[in-house]
Amino acid sequence: MQSSSSELKNVFLKQKKKTRRQNFFKGIMFLLPSIILFSLFLFYPMIKTFYLSFFLTDMAGTPTVFVGLDNYIQLYTSDIFRKSFISTFLFVLYIVPSSIIIALFLAVLANEKLKGVGLFRTMYSSTMGISVAAGSIFWMYLFNPSMGLLNEALGVIGIDSIGWLTDPDWALIAISLTTIWMNIGFTFLILLGGLQSIDQSLYENANIEGAGYFRKLFQITVPMLSPTLFFVLVVTIINAFQTFGQIDILTKGGPQYETNLIVYSIYREAFVNRQFGPASAQAVVLFVIILIMTAIQFKFAERKVHYQ
Amino acid sequence: MKKNSILLYMALAVTLILAACGGSEEGNEAEAEGASGEKQTVTFWHAMGGQAQTALDDIVAGYNESQDEVEVVAEYQGSYDEALTMFNSVAGTDSAPTMMQVFEIGTQTMIDGGQITPIQEFIDADDYDMSNLEENITTYYSQDDMFYSMPFNSSTPVMYYNKDAFEEAGLDAEAPPETYEAVEEVSRAITESNPDMKGFSLQAYGWLWEQLLANQGGHLLNNENGRESAATEIGWTDEQGLSILQWVENMVNDGTFANYGTNGDNMAAGFLAGDVAMYMQSSASVREVVDNADFEVGVAFIPHPEGTKREGVVIGGASLWMMNGAPEEEQQAAWEFMKYLQQPEVQAEWHVNTGYFAINPAAYEEEVAVQAHEETPQLQVTIDQLQSTTPSNATQGALGNFLPEGRQVVESGLESVYNGEDIEAAHETIVENYNQVIEQSNAAQGN
Repeated sequence: MQSSSSELKNVFLKQKKKTRRQNFFKGIMFLLPSIILFSLFLFYPMIKTFYLSFFLTDMAGTPTVFVGLDNYIQLYTSDIFRKSFISTFLFVLYIVPSSIIIALFLAVLANEKLKGVGLFRTMYSSTMGISVAAGSIFWMYLFNPSMGLLNEALGVIGIDSIGWLTDPDWALIAISLTTIWMNIGFTFLILLGGLQSIDQSLYENANIEGAGYFRKLFQITVPMLSPTLFFVLVVTIINAFQTFGQIDILTKGGPQYETNLIVYSIYREAFVNRQFGPASAQAVVLFVIILIMTAIQFKFAERKVHYQ
Repeated sequence: MKKNSILLYMALAVTLILAACGGSEEGNEAEAEGASGEKQTVTFWHAMGGQAQTALDDIVAGYNESQDEVEVVAEYQGSYDEALTMFNSVAGTDSAPTMMQVFEIGTQTMIDGGQITPIQEFIDADDYDMSNLEENITTYYSQDDMFYSMPFNSSTPVMYYNKDAFEEAGLDAEAPPETYEAVEEVSRAITESNPDMKGFSLQAYGWLWEQLLANQGGHLLNNENGRESAATEIGWTDEQGLSILQWVENMVNDGTFANYGTNGDNMAAGFLAGDVAMYMQSSASVREVVDNADFEVGVAFIPHPEGTKREGVVIGGASLWMMNGAPEEEQQAAWEFMKYLQQPEVQAEWHVNTGYFAINPAAYEEEVAVQAHEETPQLQVTIDQLQSTTPSNATQGALGNFLPEGRQVVESGLESVYNGEDIEAAHETIVENYNQVIEQSNAAQGN
């Protein structure tokens, strides 16, 4: 009796093990396409970047000399990289709050039920349909030192011309203006969508209570909009870190490395100077920064978000 | 049974993905074979924008019409820097061109890159005579008695000036300033007579720095400009480097300097709009500037510091490289096109429509060139400047595969002086960073 019971248990366990193995195998099969794609396009390049950051390379990117942490130490002591680092954070600081505040302002305006408001909604969101390249060229003409509209306008009110893209004090601001303008369309559209989905009965209740316009704005609109605002915040910050096109077209990182944001710096180091080692080290640093930033956002900012 | 079939489908899907990845090569081979049945296509990447692009497209169209064996497809890939960046990312793949135009400082990069077939092989096989080309150019592009690339478009920097502005300021428009000091003086006179016009502009461009050094006999790199053995650091003296920065600083302090940063197009536009009276740029745009200005344009030699002898200029411009990834017939077709580009008629057309000099001096005898020189004597200046250059390692130009990166260092240093940085400090930064670039490049090659 005893032996047959243990035998039964054995068979049962074996069967269970087999099912589990089968389940595991099936699970892997389902995951396989994404595992392959992720490994190919994400994990492999990431590991390779880490690997390359410990080497110097030849023109074709083949590692030649192992230098250990030298590339990182050089970044730490390099004035140029420190400038890139500071410029990048300044840039994020310039564009993220202004993009969101301007877009929110426009979205609140365009959310009013007025005749012809559709026209304004189209106008406000129109920059979304303009590519970075086209937008940058457009701004390049506005900034042009000989015939730029901005300097002409300053001249009319009696202010000296500004070297928008050549003066180190102004170049980053000029790039920020361009980027804010490009961001507004998308940010506006998302925020307007958020505003439209707020339950109207909340406002009706508030009206009955006799709440004023600003009371309603800050106590109903903004809290109800917070998930959308949070999404916009995260996306704008990540976009800001990844800004490339407008810099390549307008300043090429100049004057004096003032607009040499980290992503542009990586591009130039790797694909213009063919220094893949130091470029990889910069990429690793950027990766760590974005990782930390995102973690902070989810830890602190998300708590304030009100989900319905 | 059903479960098994799901697994089967998944396996099929995965195999399909893998097959799709591996299959692309076969497709391309088939394509290439199909093309060779008719005309041989040659892809030609170049970096000629604006009027030069129109001129080049005309030449290519002329070649395609002149015979029915080869079809050259010319593709504009942006500036020299951008084109080289583009090439480096597709080198060795099917997207790489058959032949490509690369600027002079990319020479070492191309040789080291190992993606090219030296032109010398075709010269030998064909018994082609290179001696009818301009000597200054053939010495620049040959190393160890070997041609790696085919010279094509060569220019020198010249100083453009506004003759009308000179006359308004009471200056002799036929006697442009020759020294830094004279340029400063003329600039002051011009800004005095017309406060809306600045005197001089120097684009923050490493190439011009190299030219200004060479003109006073300075070397960019040590070890004879990297020609004797690989350079280990910069080659100019403090005095030579500072003379250029001092010159710029003086004009900045005088308020006669126009700062266009690194943007050459804006500088040319400023000159045409009458915002600045003199500037330095490649002679390649002589035709474009003369045609588009609504005032008399003068073209002069580039200046040098007082007390030094004028040594002359380094040949700028680009040459054509043959890629080793292309099949033999395709290379042969590209070689035929390269030879076509050397012919006097073609070079004459190219010279008068741009301002590049003819690499084949016989071109100047052509009717079209003689006539153009009569109508636009400014085209003659670049030829004179080149022919009066003293041959030396300074005017031969530097060799090194880090030169594009070095230019960025110089450009940033120049810009800092334009914006009021102390010249001693700026010079020190340039030297320090340039030496680091050289050191890193040498380290990567295991030296």
